[in-house]
Amino acid sequence: MTEDTPLTPDEHDSALAAELALGLLEGPEAEAATTRMTEDAGFAQQVRDWQERLAGLAMQLTPVMAPARAKQGIRERLGFGMAPLAEDPTETRPWWRGPIGALAGLVAVAAVAAFLWLPGNAPITPTGAQPDYQAQLQSEAGDLRVAARLDGREMEIDLQDGAAGEGRDLEIWWIKPDGSAPISIGLVPRSGNARMELPADLDPTEGIKIALTDEPAGGSPTGQATGPIVAVADLTRL
Amino acid sequence: MQDARRLELEEMIARIALGDRDSFEALYDATSAKLHAVCLSVLKDRPEAEETLQEVYIKIWQNATRYASNGLSPMTWLITIARNRAIDRLRARSSRPATAPTDAAAVLPSGEPSPEAATIRAQEWEMLDECLAQLADQQAGAVRAVYLEGVTYADLAEREGKPVNTVRSWLRRSLLRLKDCVTR
Repeated sequence: MTEDTPLTPDEHDSALAAELALGLLEGPEAEAATTRMTEDAGFAQQVRDWQERLAGLAMQLTPVMAPARAKQGIRERLGFGMAPLAEDPTETRPWWRGPIGALAGLVAVAAVAAFLWLPGNAPITPTGAQPDYQAQLQSEAGDLRVAARLDGREMEIDLQDGAAGEGRDLEIWWIKPDGSAPISIGLVPRSGNARMELPADLDPTEGIKIALTDEPAGGSPTGQATGPIVAVADLTRL
Repeated sequence: MQDARRLELEEMIARIALGDRDSFEALYDATSAKLHAVCLSVLKDRPEAEETLQEVYIKIWQNATRYASNGLSPMTWLITIARNRAIDRLRARSSRPATAPTDAAAVLPSGEPSPEAATIRAQEWEMLDECLAQLADQQAGAVRAVYLEGVTYADLAEREGKPVNTVRSWLRRSLLRLKDCVTR
């Protein structure tokens, strides 16, 4: 097939099916092709074949984890109304993070201790209390500290000290030891902690590094890190 | 993608069609990072991609009942919904009137789900990289940009400084060459 031979009718149909699948057709041509798809099963199949084929391009994209609030937004819009996964950054500090919370925490610890002291009780291990992996991230100047803990596939990100600059966000990256491109797994919350589920194709193992980069508000616009690395640490098994 | 994963996703979508919220959450956990990457690739804007991702999953919830009959593999169906939604939003941004990609194929019954389809698709996906590498860089880049960034013929013409008909002709030939190569 050289550049100047005209397309055969079969080639023309296949190219048209590709253009329809790609959304490249406009106006009457788009309408005609869409109508044809409803009437011509063979042509409709060609459009689907192109969709299958081209989806392979998307399969090569590096996954980028969406913030937990996206999942919560979907639940709310569908009227599922479940408890939020993460603290809303626009909200004020929840009570248990304040001084009263600290006090309540001490009381709770005391209550658990007292409970464990009672004879005849089997030791109770709260499910999910023990993380499997962790990374302790700290900036060079020491003014930023973030703890990442993995419990099964659930990751908790805890902002312990410091914050992103005005109009900036800290993005969390999962770096595999094989040298492949870092994968964004979300943003550090503006305060407190956030929980997120690891994407299906990421598995915690020794050798993984977690890094934070300084990005525009909302995170890197491209899905690849654009800002400097602020902190990096190994993911270690506990 | 292995068959086991495909079956797992099909099972989830079938359960979602029955209104199973747990399966919907499981599907979200398993696929949202990939679909988010698709939205980001097209929109190149984090908040817009996040908003689009939410619309995509709402659409998945609403259209799951129609999935079984459309003849697409589950990942292709999900990716197509995400890509089309992101491109709708991209084109709504510009003042230039443009036709949105059709969702019709994603909901149109195929009548004949082919048992070999999954195997053929898996082979074609494996070949894709190699076949793109056989195209000239400029042509492979254009195919990628059209699919992954929602670039139009008008955009390509502007980029290349050539008439729309010229870029259309060589993109069509690139696509046909790609198809010949992956189906070989």
